[in-house]
Order: sequence, then structure tokens, then C-alpha cells
Amino acid sequence: MVVMTRATDEQLVEHFNRGDDSAFERIVEEYSADITVLANRLLGWPGEVEDVVQDVFLAVLVGLKNFRCECSLKTWLFTITINECRSRHRRMTRLLRLPKRAGKHCEPCSNGTADKNSMDRETFESIRTAVRALPAKYREPLVLRYLQELSMSQISSILGITENALQVRLSRARGLLKQRLSRLIEETL
Amino acid sequence: MTENIIKDLLQEADKIAGVPEQASIDIGIIRRRARKRYLMRTIAPLIAAAAVIILTISVWTLSFRTAKPVGDNDELARLQAQVKYLQARTDATLKLVQEMLQKEQKQRELEALQAQLESIGDPREEISQQVERTALILVFQADKMYREPGQKNSAMQAYSRVIELFPQSRWAKVARQRLLDIQNAENVTNLKGDSI
Repeated sequence: MVVMTRATDEQLVEHFNRGDDSAFERIVEEYSADITVLANRLLGWPGEVEDVVQDVFLAVLVGLKNFRCECSLKTWLFTITINECRSRHRRMTRLLRLPKRAGKHCEPCSNGTADKNSMDRETFESIRTAVRALPAKYREPLVLRYLQELSMSQISSILGITENALQVRLSRARGLLKQRLSRLIEETL
Repeated sequence: MTENIIKDLLQEADKIAGVPEQASIDIGIIRRRARKRYLMRTIAPLIAAAAVIILTISVWTLSFRTAKPVGDNDELARLQAQVKYLQARTDATLKLVQEMLQKEQKQRELEALQAQLESIGDPREEISQQVERTALILVFQADKMYREPGQKNSAMQAYSRVIELFPQSRWAKVARQRLLDIQNAENVTNLKGDSI
């Protein structure tokens, strides 16, 4: 199955390099949903990530001719998404340092399932704040491991770090979250 | 254990946040942005080079005007030749930039025309759809007639009409099959009658 996916990726890239415009459209069609979900999670569930996804595909269009299929297309796309989210996060942090202006307030998506879940809004907000406050190097492994449920080798390939380093980051991320969500964790226990 | 709790909390928060609004990706905009970026990367150095050359020429000309008269005619000729050469290079660079911009403009116009052309439907396709629809209605009516007592011949005529009027449609095939089935049914009835 993995081999089939790789072959398809390679074919898509080959078609793109031969000037077939539909190859890029197929990539957008196939991966835009995954990228939207990942960007939403990495940015702390703002619900609106259209700009980031557009930027990701712009980077894909510019860089696809240099893609050598050394990893899967999905891994490469996730790496780009992470980079775009880092840039976006930096910009947002810079903006937050400026005097606050009346603007958009981040809300969870309207199509969420809040009514059906036991978790209340306050708890959700505290988790969201805790996750957003984590440094990118800890937030990214958490999202990729526990929400995207990727394997350790995939994550280390996406983040460009060794599996040992990834283990350390995950452990530290858990430690930080544990500190910040101690009340919630105690309640759960 | 803590790992599982954190995982559960994160997953539950993710569930609460819900599925993000599906980003509507406009591939046209992405392509235009990519092209703009490419142009900026290729043309900007050319423009910068042209600006440097123009600046150099200006400085040179000014210094040439303010300098003391050169006695040596050869030196004067050499400098004039150099100025001419630099002017020619500047003109060539500017021309190249203009050509690239014109090319880009033409490409954009071509894309707009292609998009217009694609939005126009194929009339043959529409006619073909109409033919299929009419043939379908006739077959449907013939089926209805066939089910009513004493209307078998009219139904057979209607099927024949579909075959005659729309021989290429897929409903003509259906009509042929229906006629064949009716004939087979008749043959079976006749055989039974004979054997009795």
C-alpha cells in the first residue's frame, strides 16, 4: 500500500515536471483537507486557516520541481505546513506585542460538537491556551503524535530530528502541559 | 498514565474545536502569486543592475563635465565609447525587462481567454442530451402502453419509432431489446398453443 502511494506521488511529481497543470490540482484536491486540519491544530484551533493553506500550496507550487521523492509527498507537505504555521505564529506573536486593537477573536469552529462532549468551554479554553503557549518545538511533536497520530519515524522525518530527540521533546512537552493543566489532570485522576 | 490523560484531553479538545472550515483553494490565485514571486526574483536583479548602470553613467557624465579639458583626444574618444557602450547595455536591459512584462501581460490575457472559452458549453453535447432525453420519454411511454391491455401493437410501433428516429441513442438499443422480448414472448405463447 505504501509502495502504491509512493508510486502515485512520484507519478504526480513527474507529471507536474512535464508541465501537466492538472497534477498540481490533483495534489491540492488530495491533500488540502489534511493540511487544513493540521494547520488548524498547530495554530491552536482558530477555525479559519484558509490563508495558511493558500501559502502552503504556493510554497508547494514553487518548490515542487525540486522535490526529489526522498520522502512521501504527504511528509513533505506536512513539513511545509509546519514551516508556514511557524511563520504565522511568529507574525501573530509580533502582532500581539503591539497595542491591542479591536479585532477578530478566535473562536472554536461553529461546526464543533460542544453539546455532545463532556468537556466544557472553560476546560477547552484552558487546554487551548496551554497548547498555544507551548514553544513550537514542543507543540509540533504533540500535535503530530497525539492528534495526527503519526508514527515516531514519520514525525522525526517531518521535523528533521532524530527519534531520540523527538522522545525528549515529547516528554518535555508533556511535562509542560502537566504543569499548566495540573488541576485538570488531577480531576481526571 | 499521564501520557494517556494528556492524549485524551488533547483529543477531546480537538473534538470540541471541530473540523475546521474547508479552505477554498483558488488555484488561479496561487498560480498568479507564484508567477509574481518568480518575476520579482528574476526581474528585480535586472532592474537593480539597470539602476546601478544608469547611476554609474550619470556619475561618470557629471565627472566628465566637471573635469578639466582633456588634452588627449584618444582618451576622450575612449571615454565616449565607454559611455556609449554602457548606454547600449542599459537600453538592452530595459528592453528585456519591458519584453518580459509584455510577455507576462500576454500570458495573463491568454489565460483569461482560455477561461472564457472553457466556460462556453459544447452545443453538440446539449443536443445529444436532448436526443437521449426524448428517446427515454418515448421508451417510457411505450413501456406504459405495453403494460395496458390491448395496447401491445401501439407499444411495438412506439419502440420502432424510437429505433427509427434515434438509431444512435442508447434508448434505441433498449427499444430493440424490448421488441425482441415481445417477439420471444409471442413465440413462446404460440408454441404452447400448438402443443395444446
